[in-house]
Amino acid sequence: MLPLFGGDENLSVDMIPVTLNGTKVSAQPGMTILELARENGVDIPTLCYRPELTPIGACRICVVEVEGSRTLVASCHTPVAANMVIHTHSPKVLEARKVIVELLLASHPDVCLVCDKANTCELRKIAADLGVGLPRFRVKKRYHPLEDVSPYVVRDLDKCILCRRCLRACHEIKKADVFAIAYRGFDSKVVVDQDQPLNKSVCRDCDVCISLCPVGALTKREERFKEKKGPPLFIKA
Amino acid sequence: MPEQRIVLRNCGVIDPKDISTYLSQGGFKALEKALGELAPEQVIEEIKKSGLLGRGGAGFPTGLKWQFASEASGEEKYVICNADEGEVGTFKDRYILERDPFSLIEAMAIAGYAIGANKGYIYLRAEYHHLLGLLEGAIVQCEGKGFLAKQGNFKFDIEIREGAGAYVCGEETALMDSIEGKRGEARYKPPFPPSQGLWQKPTIINNVETLMNIPPIILKGSDWFNRIGTERSKGTKVFSVSGDVRAPGTYELVMGSSLKELVEDLALAEKVKMVQVGGASGRVIPYHLIDTPLAFEGVLGAGAIIVFNESRDVIDIVRRTMEFFAEESCGKCTPCREGTQVMLEILTRFCHGQGLKQDIENLESLANVMMLTSLCGLGQAAPNSVVDTLAHYRSAYESRVQG
Repeated sequence: MLPLFGGDENLSVDMIPVTLNGTKVSAQPGMTILELARENGVDIPTLCYRPELTPIGACRICVVEVEGSRTLVASCHTPVAANMVIHTHSPKVLEARKVIVELLLASHPDVCLVCDKANTCELRKIAADLGVGLPRFRVKKRYHPLEDVSPYVVRDLDKCILCRRCLRACHEIKKADVFAIAYRGFDSKVVVDQDQPLNKSVCRDCDVCISLCPVGALTKREERFKEKKGPPLFIKA
Repeated sequence: MPEQRIVLRNCGVIDPKDISTYLSQGGFKALEKALGELAPEQVIEEIKKSGLLGRGGAGFPTGLKWQFASEASGEEKYVICNADEGEVGTFKDRYILERDPFSLIEAMAIAGYAIGANKGYIYLRAEYHHLLGLLEGAIVQCEGKGFLAKQGNFKFDIEIREGAGAYVCGEETALMDSIEGKRGEARYKPPFPPSQGLWQKPTIINNVETLMNIPPIILKGSDWFNRIGTERSKGTKVFSVSGDVRAPGTYELVMGSSLKELVEDLALAEKVKMVQVGGASGRVIPYHLIDTPLAFEGVLGAGAIIVFNESRDVIDIVRRTMEFFAEESCGKCTPCREGTQVMLEILTRFCHGQGLKQDIENLESLANVMMLTSLCGLGQAAPNSVVDTLAHYRSAYESRVQG
């Protein structure tokens, strides 16, 4: 977020004092904790969050500790308040992020080797950054048939982590509302119409959802299994 | 401490289909007093001073909630009565709605006057469809007598919206989504409903039982109410007692009464092993802690008391509780959607005597993270029974670890 008044200090009366990881910083009113952290060079991992979309607070990867709060708070949608004391990388926070990533990995198909997303996968990158290896939890895998009806998009919903970026992008950017959520709990699924495979008649190849999918759930047909440029991923010890 | 009927004052006394019986019990005197003698701020002040805390389980100060909504800017404001009573083992709101719908309508009108709202919604749980006619009849009768019609600047409309059977829609933000016609899923907070609630307008949302306390407080004054109960928990609480008891039913007790008194003396339970207070999302109280006071200082929740005797298997109870949460999770946030399923599978293994060595440790760390990071109260409270039984009945788990 850019300073509202070009950084003119005489005009910064409305700035909110906040303590971020032990350092006193100032925030603009209405700013979220995530925006404040990124402005100050603190990296908080995110999955469902995208700057161009309305936050929904679904993935909970971006949680941080705010002193005095009973729970951890998701930084992507929690606005800063005066004199907040925020810890973005405390042991409690890191453990929570690890467990959340392990939960996502536990039900995720073990097909990274042959996944089109390969080393550009955001879930794999966050897992690697957090030092998550084999998840400690065991849970059933989801099974949805591969949807390759559409000439543009191939949907592999086994890999979907329900971040709803596609849904929001289609609603907010493309204004097409192709996607919706159906079913509940573990069986929740991003569906088209009454849970029909995505087909040509509803989708118009705008690519917005594909470009925003953090994992290999949505891929562009003509680019499947072509070379992807991305940094090598190492699991940090 | 004794039974005392404040909330249930008219239950069984009046005819819920006939407003004249309610009027003969002093019905609508509180609304008259509020409109005639008190400014909206004075009504809020009175509720604040009474110390009334929300009866839906979270125990937020009712007067404060009203004050926030009253101070929020905006022409349009809403009053919602949460009659989605979805917590496992609660039926007290049904008991109240069946027997005294008029008091609820009066209380909603008072709330509307206090915060400056002229529209109220009763969100009725789908399973209470049989009460729709009774409630609509009550509203029509109140309108017919002119109680909700324009009086000075005040006018109040009440509409009933029915749920579609989702537990999570008892959560206030999911409930509002549901009223708006969307899929019932929790929203993140802040913004809180008193500033941006239904259709992004300032909204107060109160439990049926909370609202039932409003007319007597207005009539008899906050000092009267403030003298009943404990230091932090004022007034009475209505409990729904079920399970291994000889006298299940609805009981109203002064706050601070002991669990033992309710379960053993009134509901006539024998050989109690443990009690789940607050339903599926509540705390598990083992028999040796049965003297725990029923108050916000002790245990309370929404007042569901499920009694289990010595013939019951702890792990089986916890597994069934988790099955409920896995079924009812809305699926929006990761810890709840995935965590409840992982827990269910672990607990199912324990039920079959096939627990893994790391399962107990995993349950603990998962429970901790679910409570800390879930988006709404459902995910935050889902592991409660696991945490409590691991603390009190750990050997039940350990004996079922394989190898």
